[in-house]
Amino acid sequence: MQRHRALFVFAVGLLCCAFAIAQSPFAPKVSGPLSQRVVAYQIDAKYDPAKHTVDATETLTYRNLTGQPLDRFPFHLYLNAFQPKSTWVREAHRDGYFRTSSLDEWEPKDNGSNEITSFEVAGMGDLTRQMKFISPDDANPDDKTVFEVRLPRPVQPGQDVQFKIKFKATFPEVIARTGYKRTFLLAGQWFPKIGVRWHDQWNCHQFHAMTEFFADFGTYDVKITLPKNYVVGATGVQTSDSDNLNGTKTVAYHAEDVHDFAWTADPNFKVAEGQFDGSVGKVKIRLLTYDSHKSSRQRYLDVIWGTMEKFDQWYGPYPYAQLTVVDPPHGAGEAGGMEYPTFITGGTSWYVPKGDLHEPEGVTEHEFGHQYWYGMVATNEFENAWLDEGINSYTEVKVMDSLFGRNTSSLNLLGIQEGDGESLRSFYLGYSDLDPLARASYTDMSMGSYGAVSYGKTATMLATLEAIVGEQALRKALHVYFLRYRFTHPTQEDFMHTVNEVTGQDLNWYWDQAVYGTPVLDYEVARADSNPTNWYEENATEKKGETTYETQVILHRKGDFVFPVEAEVKFDNGENIRERWDGKDHWVRYVYHKKAKVVSVEIDPDHKVTMDSNYLNNSRTTERQKGATEKIAAYWMFLTQFLAQMLSWLV
Amino acid sequence: MKPGDITGQRKGLLSAGASLLWRRQEILWWVFAVNVVLGALGTLGAARTLNAALGYRLAGDQLLKGFNLGMFYELLRLPAADFLQSRFTAYACACLFALFVLFVSGGILEAFRQDRRLNTGDFFAASGAFFWRFVRLMLLSLTPFIFLWSLHAQVSRLSEYVGDRAAADQVGFCIKFAGAIILAGLALLLRLWFDLAKVRAVAQNQRSMWRNMWESCALTWRNVGTLFWMYFRISLVAAIPLLIGFLIWTALPPTAIPAMFILLEFIILSQLAARLWQLASATAWYKRHAEAVAFATPQPEEMIEAIETLVVPEPDLPPLNEPETPPAEA
Repeated sequence: MQRHRALFVFAVGLLCCAFAIAQSPFAPKVSGPLSQRVVAYQIDAKYDPAKHTVDATETLTYRNLTGQPLDRFPFHLYLNAFQPKSTWVREAHRDGYFRTSSLDEWEPKDNGSNEITSFEVAGMGDLTRQMKFISPDDANPDDKTVFEVRLPRPVQPGQDVQFKIKFKATFPEVIARTGYKRTFLLAGQWFPKIGVRWHDQWNCHQFHAMTEFFADFGTYDVKITLPKNYVVGATGVQTSDSDNLNGTKTVAYHAEDVHDFAWTADPNFKVAEGQFDGSVGKVKIRLLTYDSHKSSRQRYLDVIWGTMEKFDQWYGPYPYAQLTVVDPPHGAGEAGGMEYPTFITGGTSWYVPKGDLHEPEGVTEHEFGHQYWYGMVATNEFENAWLDEGINSYTEVKVMDSLFGRNTSSLNLLGIQEGDGESLRSFYLGYSDLDPLARASYTDMSMGSYGAVSYGKTATMLATLEAIVGEQALRKALHVYFLRYRFTHPTQEDFMHTVNEVTGQDLNWYWDQAVYGTPVLDYEVARADSNPTNWYEENATEKKGETTYETQVILHRKGDFVFPVEAEVKFDNGENIRERWDGKDHWVRYVYHKKAKVVSVEIDPDHKVTMDSNYLNNSRTTERQKGATEKIAAYWMFLTQFLAQMLSWLV
Repeated sequence: MKPGDITGQRKGLLSAGASLLWRRQEILWWVFAVNVVLGALGTLGAARTLNAALGYRLAGDQLLKGFNLGMFYELLRLPAADFLQSRFTAYACACLFALFVLFVSGGILEAFRQDRRLNTGDFFAASGAFFWRFVRLMLLSLTPFIFLWSLHAQVSRLSEYVGDRAAADQVGFCIKFAGAIILAGLALLLRLWFDLAKVRAVAQNQRSMWRNMWESCALTWRNVGTLFWMYFRISLVAAIPLLIGFLIWTALPPTAIPAMFILLEFIILSQLAARLWQLASATAWYKRHAEAVAFATPQPEEMIEAIETLVVPEPDLPPLNEPETPPAEA
């Protein structure tokens, strides 16, 4: 009997488990929470497509895991950034642009807002009147992107507090990764979101033009009510879809171990699906695109598949059941190229040439990469944007190079080629000595500097690091960093310590210059020539292979950045010599006595030191190199002649 | 064919223009030579800069064996490589060529009109005689060309406005493309109008460019189908070597610089030839038109006298007459 009862219990348990596995989209992936779930959001939102507004109620359960009593809670209201006096607009206007938008004029359609109509705390009553806007970063009294509430009594460590918020979100015409365009909506950073208690204090920065986001992990249960004909995509997985009597429908989404929730809707979306068999199970790829972008559908799916495979192999598994990829419509470029947890936006157009211009692939790859560095590792993007954007740009180069070739991963059109790493390097070189990586991103000199440093410099700096530690060692370091710090909020020091530890090298001399400082790396070949040793003899003649020459080679460190470099010296008898110089002094001289003349000297012959700000002075030859000059001059002449003809046509 | 019915003569216009250019091909070669020389002068500065940057470096390999965009940016960014200065030299040379073409237009059209090889003195005398008139004509042509340019800006604005509101991606592009085609056609028509004004000015030794412009406008308008079709076909023919040249260029190995240079110069030559072909065809048409009109309407004596007394740079043939009365009404 006892045995039968045990069998019965076991069978029931097995059935329950099977049922649970069948119900939960996460079940095949993980057992138990992946993150320390600090927040649980439940949002019931109603979208009005005519007004581009959302009326919603939000129930946020916050678990105090700080070990300290908390009575003050700050919240982000990101959509309030889209008002003319906000800090975000001030900063973007100062630089004259934001991504693809000009900020020279302000129109009503540019307005966005988060308006809280009611703010209650369970057991503490209505605290709407306690809400106070604060500006911790710049004391701008007109900025309403952060508010705080002081509770009548503190929330004790380990306790939960529940906030019940009613709010209205008004979307601007799409800008800065949120808003509408015709019938399309990308709802990003659209709901009141609590700050992060980090290093014993609240980290809740205002919304800046030069920064992105930072939030705690948790769960999201979001219901969206909107017209029936809308196709919806969102963070997480869809759990229900029910029609209402008034011509609307309500779709529900659930997401776990994520730190944000975004969604999109458009009646014109066409859905394409794919699947990736990852190391921890299958991942559904859901692409929301348009008929006019039909030619890009397979490109999206192929690059996502290729990227997921590389990330899975190199850095670690993608543990979520689904990835939603949104292809924004034309004119909604501001919605393109953005990442939210398990949800990314790409960017293409109907005329993108197939196969040669890898812009759609590059953007999609980049945004997927964020699922690791922004999504799971989740560093503080307000303060250390490079840990997300930069590391992600570096991994983008590695993936794109592996998929499309090192020299052609960005462009391979009509004989014109560019590697992804080269384009990021060019980005960096425009602003190489202005802002250190370690600086809080929102304090960078300009949007250009922020982009160049966060994306370009980090990618270039890590590529250069390969010259010291090797590509495989750096890959391993990133793998360890990802596995060790996913679902936590590591600092830049955590990253650097991990690289030091995994590579077994003390790289602080490098981090000091590349991360904390702004020195520029530039080496040149200052001299390379050979002279007969018997120069003083009268009637001395030179005979190849018989005359002895003294060859002088001088390498010069022009920049402040000290970095060990290799140089290759080639002689006319075919002999090659590689020298390694620590670069500590400002110059070094190499002297050779050989029965051969020097032909060329090249610093960094393997082209690994991509931080070098000037490749042109890295080599010197003794014979004139005419080819490139003649080629460009021929084009120049043709263009001059063509322009001349065009002008003469007008007269 | 009825007297004055020039539509029946359309058939041979292109070949008449082509054979006239063939007979007067020395003009093409001279103009091409000047274009080459000015092109070379406009390139000297850039070539010197390039040589300083790449002359004794290995970096140029990435631009020679392929065309590495990153390395090209590197080159443009060099503070020592003053490409801005070189660009101004190129612009200046391009402007000089335009000025040269404006200057020799009188000589070219006179040579076409007389259909004989002018000696240097005659050629430059004709060039000089018509230079300021053509400058005035060019200034007059600025107004319609600027109007066309503003139309282009309006079309761009319209395409953005409509495209932004349309769900389909291609709407804006289609408007822009259709607008560009129409505007290109209008530009060709404008060119034709002012080319004809030049041809008339030379043929009739017109001095008042204002009156000439309006009379040419009326003439162009009356024969717009014939003339536009003639210019349009030549433009289409000119596009063929451009296209073929482009296709060959894509197939050339990146290091085949002499072949590439010859190909690019061939493209330039073909475009110049097409432009001169248009002028030759316009001259041929005008000759036929004027002859047809003259056949239909005998010229009053006093008018001939008046024309003959004008100062013309040693023309061998009498200027052509064009009565104001349309031939159909004669």
